[in-house]
Amino acid sequence: MDLLNTLFQSAPWGPLRFGLHVVFLLAAAFVLRQMQDLRAVVGLKHLAKPRAGFAAAGLVAVLGFAAVLAYQATWQLSGTARPDLIAFMQLHDRRQFNPAHWIERGRILDVAGTVLAESRVVQTDAGPTAQRHYPFGPDFAHVVGYADPRFGTSGVEAAANIQLNGGKPDSLKDWGELGRQILTQGKRPKGNNVTLTLDAALQRLAVERLGERAGAVVMLRPQDGALRVLASTPSFDPNRIDADLFLHADPRARLLNRATAGLYPPGSTFKVVLAADALDRGFSARIHCPADGWTTSGHYRKIRDHEYYEARRAGRSWRGHGRIGLTTALVESSNVFFAQLGVYLGHEAFRATTERFLFNSRISIGAGDSRRQFLRTGRIPTIPSSDRYGLAQASIGQGKVLATPAQMALIAAAIANDGVAVRPRLVGGEQPVAAGRFMQSGTAAKLRSMLRQAVAEGTGRGIETPGLAIAGKTGTAENPFGAPHSWFIGFAPAERPRLAFAVLVEHGGYGSTAAAPIARDLLLLAKQRGHLP
Amino acid sequence: MAKPARPETLAERWDARAPERRLLLWVLFAIGAGFLMVLGALPKDGIAVRWTDLVPPLGFALAFCAAHLLFVAAGFRGDQLLLALVAFLAGIGLLAQFRMGVYAGAGLTLAHLLLPAGVMLLALLAVALMDGRYRPLAAGMWFWAVLSLAILIFVLTTGQRFRGAVYGAGFITPTEGLKLTVVLFAAAWIDRHAKALAKWHTPIPFPPLRAHWPLALFATLLLGLLLVQRDLGLVLILGLALLLQLTAGTKRVGYLVYGALAAGAAGYAVLQLFSHGQRRVASWLDPFADPTGAGWQVLQGLSGMYAGGLWGEGFSQARPRYAPIAESDFIYAVVAEELGFIGSALLLVFFALLCWRLILIAARAKSPFGMLTATGIASVFTVQTLLNVGGVTKAIPITGVTLPFISQGGSSLLVTCLALGLVLAISDGEPKPLKKKTAPARTASTRRRRASAA
Repeated sequence: MDLLNTLFQSAPWGPLRFGLHVVFLLAAAFVLRQMQDLRAVVGLKHLAKPRAGFAAAGLVAVLGFAAVLAYQATWQLSGTARPDLIAFMQLHDRRQFNPAHWIERGRILDVAGTVLAESRVVQTDAGPTAQRHYPFGPDFAHVVGYADPRFGTSGVEAAANIQLNGGKPDSLKDWGELGRQILTQGKRPKGNNVTLTLDAALQRLAVERLGERAGAVVMLRPQDGALRVLASTPSFDPNRIDADLFLHADPRARLLNRATAGLYPPGSTFKVVLAADALDRGFSARIHCPADGWTTSGHYRKIRDHEYYEARRAGRSWRGHGRIGLTTALVESSNVFFAQLGVYLGHEAFRATTERFLFNSRISIGAGDSRRQFLRTGRIPTIPSSDRYGLAQASIGQGKVLATPAQMALIAAAIANDGVAVRPRLVGGEQPVAAGRFMQSGTAAKLRSMLRQAVAEGTGRGIETPGLAIAGKTGTAENPFGAPHSWFIGFAPAERPRLAFAVLVEHGGYGSTAAAPIARDLLLLAKQRGHLP
Repeated sequence: MAKPARPETLAERWDARAPERRLLLWVLFAIGAGFLMVLGALPKDGIAVRWTDLVPPLGFALAFCAAHLLFVAAGFRGDQLLLALVAFLAGIGLLAQFRMGVYAGAGLTLAHLLLPAGVMLLALLAVALMDGRYRPLAAGMWFWAVLSLAILIFVLTTGQRFRGAVYGAGFITPTEGLKLTVVLFAAAWIDRHAKALAKWHTPIPFPPLRAHWPLALFATLLLGLLLVQRDLGLVLILGLALLLQLTAGTKRVGYLVYGALAAGAAGYAVLQLFSHGQRRVASWLDPFADPTGAGWQVLQGLSGMYAGGLWGEGFSQARPRYAPIAESDFIYAVVAEELGFIGSALLLVFFALLCWRLILIAARAKSPFGMLTATGIASVFTVQTLLNVGGVTKAIPITGVTLPFISQGGSSLLVTCLALGLVLAISDGEPKPLKKKTAPARTASTRRRRASAA
């Protein structure tokens, strides 16, 4: 016994074991050969002559086995041609020797060819393995995702998994290569690269400017939906994923992609939606806006303008906007005006508008070949027709209205693109697809000039920069968790927009002080990098 | 007469079974080499090899040698390939079980005894029922029918549910016994009523329903009760065996046609009624729809196969534990992972040969009852093997049947051994017709008695 134990642990056991394997297979094959040789001797001659029909039955049985074996080969030998299987194994198979883990996945590049993710072959105890490396660390963690043998795949890594793995073999050459791999067992396929529409420099600046604060930045080209920035903080380092990340207890929710899935009250940025609906309906009246606010019934707190609170804090008195039209109301971001406008337009109009703006749904942002990536648009429950105060609140982007930064960027892009929202996309080379018409072309043109005015002389005047012609809408969204969220959505240049954006800083305070400067800095860099004229 | 009825002297008998001996020894050699590899992998996992580890292979080898010697002593004329084929399959089963740690416990357990006991049962049954002595089994026709239903009712009333199926006490599956009792009943009944059953209506070909009602009632009751148990695999196995026996007994292929139609309709109805079956079909069609739930088992098995590739990682070198119930229903995935496509193809060749041999014995059996019994057993064995292997490779939905000789499972192994023993007995042929004198038969039986006493 001890002899056996020492033999099994000695160095020559490896080759010896291999030899035994060969001996086993040869012996088994030899048995088959002998059966062939002995078939005359072992024929059952003392029995009756074979009855008719049984040979056919035997043939059917043998064909059954052959069919199973042939089908098995499509998994066992040419499994590489089954992208679903490869993806499953990368996600769920813990066998270290599984060739699916050796695949040198293709690189993920940004629009300028900067590497966002690449595979490096490293030697481990279990042999060579491909390890994924992310040069930008946490900056792209949500959008690019991770590919980890233990934790699976996410983001673009998951969505473009098949292409990154090398795609389906579709040419004769690919199949020849597959055959070579089967015979030599040199299963080391190399994947294909995936080029994204993102701009690494812009994304880095966005993450840097958000800094320690939680928030999100989305920037896209309105005409074809090409996403330039899709940033979310706080983030995690995909090079070093730890299990803590996946615990629900993570108080900072680092795994959450705030840009595409974070639901926030949009605050005043939501007023552009109301304004678009009013303009579409040909609304041009003026509404009286009392200085100390307006409410639907005496039971409810009055909805007031921010100037009222500012004046009260400073110990001054404010005489109110008086009778104003839509333009002034939007430029000055009058809560009193839009609350009354929303109630005036009515519940049914509000519901139809949220539907037209694709709220309560999700939009695909990547035609991934194995898994699709989506952005959530927002959540606006139906407001009962008896709840007029709820409608007034919703009309100024408070109350039950929630939206994602990506959705607000898409709304800005629709205004910039004559009312048509083009589906945002991450992967280059795809045909632009319309997500929907949010408003009439004329409405979009009017809104463009109003939003330009809001930056030139209204709530956003703090970031007015010569040569950029920024148009936008600030938002200061009250929320039950602390200081208001700071929003800024818009586009530039106002006349012929090339970039639309949404910036959100959680608990950042006023939209004009936290979010708007980030947008301005990004636009300045975008101009340098040729994204703006 | 091409061949003497039965070899007389011991030397003649020893020579007569030389082919079986030669094949058996080569098989034992191959399995021995395989076992050495499995054993050699133990220290890698930090387990020292002990003397008790040698008990399973020695018991295995001794059992088959004893079976062979028994055949020699009895002057057995039956099939010479069957024992070697069974030895190879059971050997692979032993290696796979050993590798999955079935024999890992300290000391000897029931598991150590099971395979040798099964082989001995097979040989003893073959010798006991040889020379046409299996034919009295036909007389017990109603006994088999009542026993079949009794087994089912016993399991339904006392059994416990586990993983969606019903088991008897202590995870013994008495329903495995149905594979024998149902086949015997059907063989006896069809043998007795073959003429009536073969009389089809004209001009529209339709089977004679009046002649059918006892069998139809039995089959409906049996398959219905099995459906209540949700044992779809067994329903398929027994249903197909019944149809093939009917076809073989009456030479009416129409039974297969109507059977296929009825099975199609019944299968559709069952799928409408049982969500359990629907889920299996759905996860078969697209296992990737729910990869971590319904598709998990089959996908883990396929992942292992893919990892194994053409040549496999080698005995005990892979990690087959990731597929649930690997040592039982999914043992084929383990073999395919460790021995690669080549190894699993080899295994299937042996399975196919065994099936072919069983069908050949059925084709050449002298008595109609022997032919019908052999047909039934061959059908059960073939269908069960194909259902398991097809399910594991995702060629068909998973039915939860075991792989004969390879899967862990005592009831399954013992019943398969008994069934093959019966087929071997049938392959021995019939006694000489009475007009030739009864002497050879008597000497044979006295010799046998002497041999078993020694």
